[in-house]
Amino acid sequence: MKRGFYRKIAWNNIKKNYRFFVPRILAEMGLLGCFYIAVTLALDERLREIKGGDYIPTFMAMGVAVLVILSSILMFYTNSFLMKQRKREFGVYNVLGMEKRHIGKVLLHEGLISDSVAIAGGIGVGILFYKLCSLLICKLLETDVIVGFYFITLKTILPSALFFVAVDLITYFFNRVSIARMKPVELLSSKSAGEKEPKVKWFLLVIGVLTLGSGYVIALTTKNPLQALGLFFVAVILVIIGTYFLFVSGSIFVLKALKKNGKYYYNKKHMPAVSGLLYRMKQNAVGLASIAILATGVLVMISTTVSLYTGMNNTLDRTYPEDIYLSADYNYGTGERDDSVAVPTDILEEAVRKAAEKNGVEIQYVNPEEYLFVSYYVQDNHLYAESELYAAMGNMEVMAGLREFFFITNDTYERLTGERFDLSGREIACCGISSASEKASDMTGTIYLHGCEYNVKNQFSDFPCSIAMLSNPFSTYGVVVSDQSALEEIYRNQRAAYGDFASKITSRICVKFADRKAAGAAFDSIRKDLREDLSAYVKSQKADPDYLAWCLDCVWDTRVAMLGMYATLLFLGILLGAVSMFATVLIIYYKQISEGYEDRERFQIMEKIGMSKEEVKKTINGQVLLVFFLPLVTAGVHLAFAYPMLKSMLNVFMLYSNRLFLDCALITYVVFALVYVLIYRGTSKTYYKIVH
Amino acid sequence: MEILKVNDLKKNYTTRFGGTQVQALKGVSFSVDAGEYVAIMGESGSGKTTLLNILAALDKASSGTVVLDGKDLSSVEESELAAFRRDNLGFVFQEFNLLDTFSLKDNILLPLVLSGKSISEMESRLAPIALSLGISEILTKFPYEVSGGQKQRAAAARALITQPKIILADEPTGALDSQSSSELLRVFSDMNRNGQTILMVTHSTDAASHANRVLFIRDGVVFHQIYRGGCTNEELYKKISDTLTMLRTGRNG
Repeated sequence: MKRGFYRKIAWNNIKKNYRFFVPRILAEMGLLGCFYIAVTLALDERLREIKGGDYIPTFMAMGVAVLVILSSILMFYTNSFLMKQRKREFGVYNVLGMEKRHIGKVLLHEGLISDSVAIAGGIGVGILFYKLCSLLICKLLETDVIVGFYFITLKTILPSALFFVAVDLITYFFNRVSIARMKPVELLSSKSAGEKEPKVKWFLLVIGVLTLGSGYVIALTTKNPLQALGLFFVAVILVIIGTYFLFVSGSIFVLKALKKNGKYYYNKKHMPAVSGLLYRMKQNAVGLASIAILATGVLVMISTTVSLYTGMNNTLDRTYPEDIYLSADYNYGTGERDDSVAVPTDILEEAVRKAAEKNGVEIQYVNPEEYLFVSYYVQDNHLYAESELYAAMGNMEVMAGLREFFFITNDTYERLTGERFDLSGREIACCGISSASEKASDMTGTIYLHGCEYNVKNQFSDFPCSIAMLSNPFSTYGVVVSDQSALEEIYRNQRAAYGDFASKITSRICVKFADRKAAGAAFDSIRKDLREDLSAYVKSQKADPDYLAWCLDCVWDTRVAMLGMYATLLFLGILLGAVSMFATVLIIYYKQISEGYEDRERFQIMEKIGMSKEEVKKTINGQVLLVFFLPLVTAGVHLAFAYPMLKSMLNVFMLYSNRLFLDCALITYVVFALVYVLIYRGTSKTYYKIVH
Repeated sequence: MEILKVNDLKKNYTTRFGGTQVQALKGVSFSVDAGEYVAIMGESGSGKTTLLNILAALDKASSGTVVLDGKDLSSVEESELAAFRRDNLGFVFQEFNLLDTFSLKDNILLPLVLSGKSISEMESRLAPIALSLGISEILTKFPYEVSGGQKQRAAAARALITQPKIILADEPTGALDSQSSSELLRVFSDMNRNGQTILMVTHSTDAASHANRVLFIRDGVVFHQIYRGGCTNEELYKKISDTLTMLRTGRNG
């Protein structure tokens, strides 16, 4: 045949089927653009040099992994949709004398045209928006924007383009195989065959109810934040399975029940809608369930990352009531265990005050505190050192029962609060600290620790040590012991139990500056002065200053680390949210068109036998509305059930402002719903055009 | 008693290009009495589909009137048109036009559902009709599960159930084999014997030979009509064939 013949046919087909081709090309462009952006961000070395930019490569690599999965699924989905709609067309070609290999050639040319447009366009979109995205990520990281040029290199263009070429090739071969297997007669008549009324699939229904139910139960009952982290993904998978199964079988179950109810069913408002939905659900349940899950994913990603990012300053204020925490010790290099000596807190305080004065920064107060921090496995009233248990129990089991304890003396308590307990010998006062933990009430009566009996004499709240604010997701307790000797007794006992992994009594000072911002600006210089001062002290103690080990925990360092992590997470959330939104739009669009073509005939018949245009429109509206907003409502319900679990996971990231997360979740939902309505209205127009 | 009166009906179409006017109906007049069974015959392009669309209130005439049971169709408000058609007219189409998503029963009941009748009334109307059309046994089946003849009988039941003043049938046997055709025509004759007025458009001589009266349309006017008188179906068949031959030769000659 003449050269260019296939290309001409292919080109004509694309033009004729623009309703199917154009969205696919746009989707591929968008996906490739996002893919390119994620890959480039991961590889752009300039970003790693930004403060906090070191999280970018890891998180973007995760993003790329998610994009690989999402893009493959979506490309296959749109392709299978396209092929289904065009079956008849291929049948006609076949009947008109085109052999299957000729059809294959047409397909190849169609693919060459549409895919090269999509890939070139996608890289273009990626390059164009990369600048915007790197500006955004710099803005989120609160750094001055990298000036100048685009970051264009084959190193990132090639893998992005190649991945999509690979996906396109696989779909092409998939199509060739399915064409090779088709029979022209079947193709020609494929649409006119009536479809059976769907039956309720009880098996799926039961599994769906069970999986969704257990997913929800996990979400509602998991209180321990650390467990939440692990179980969340179990719950997610259960809910995903449940959503698919219930959309497939539950919808039909409900509709059939409605149909059985004659009074309800034989009504002008219900009859066309119920029977229409019954059929529509059969074909679209999977699509709708996918939308529901994607929507839930968008909501979870955006609401958590936004609340982490916006809540960061609040989190910092909470976890850092003071600006710096300083402890230091030194040794004489003998390598003995008892060789190390702590720098006394008054020396530390003096050094800080001197450095502050030198740098013109005002100090509000300095609090010395002394504590022992140990974790124990708690069972009834017994506290066990964990190393004693690993032999007898599984790792995870021990982890789950582990609690952390801050021990301070009554003197320290008095110094920090102005009050003291009436304690003597092995009498103690207890307090529960982390928000997720059971309050201290479960520490009552006699506590058995290292073979000694301790009497819980008092319960109190508000542990005064600021270190405790940093406590991790384990349930944490604060314990006040009678005096220094009691504290040292516990120290000795736990050292015997834990050996090399034993804790030490920490002496440190908490410093609050009058102006956090000003102090932060001068802090690099303060840090240097402090180091010099403490080195001089170590030297004066006749030790080598190289053996000075200090622990300087300051709010500014933490802020940089947090900002880096949360900003990158937020960006990833936005990027993946955008992609999921793409996917949602695409699925909705294709659903609308395919349904439009199917419904056209039905509504024409209804008009012929005496349904007015208004009534037809109302029926369409009701039906479409329900189908459309079912996923949105489902996503809302999923989010509501996930809420407690997400909240407790955010606690792990030390976000304790529940109000903030609630607001973020609600705002995200509302914004998402608005975007969804816009999409719906846009695609509905196409639908009406097809139906009428 | 006259139930349908068509008076000097004209319909002009303007072609898409050039604006030349085509006159599909050039002044059709006839009337149908209550209880009559009238067939309208004509070749394709003769204007019979246009006529039926106007009678069904799906299309508007350029001039002339259609009066159904004393009511002028052009005086019915646009917004009431759907309800008017539903309550006064019954339709039987060549392509059945049953909804695949409904069982036969639901298809038949649909017009009643649309006019808001109670379930008990629906059921009491359905039973005798289904029985007389011989579809009682297959009411729960879906259109794709039954034969063409059964589909068309269900469609006839759907037309009958609103107790319309007149049933308009558009080539009702067009998509049926001869066996199913004759069954359906028997059903139509039974319906008519029970007092139902029927107006059927067809170009099947066999179908037309079941009517009481046959109108011939050619070039947009009623060209000729035959009354059954006392003829049997076979005799009427003969008369119709002769008329058609005459029409054809008349045109050619």
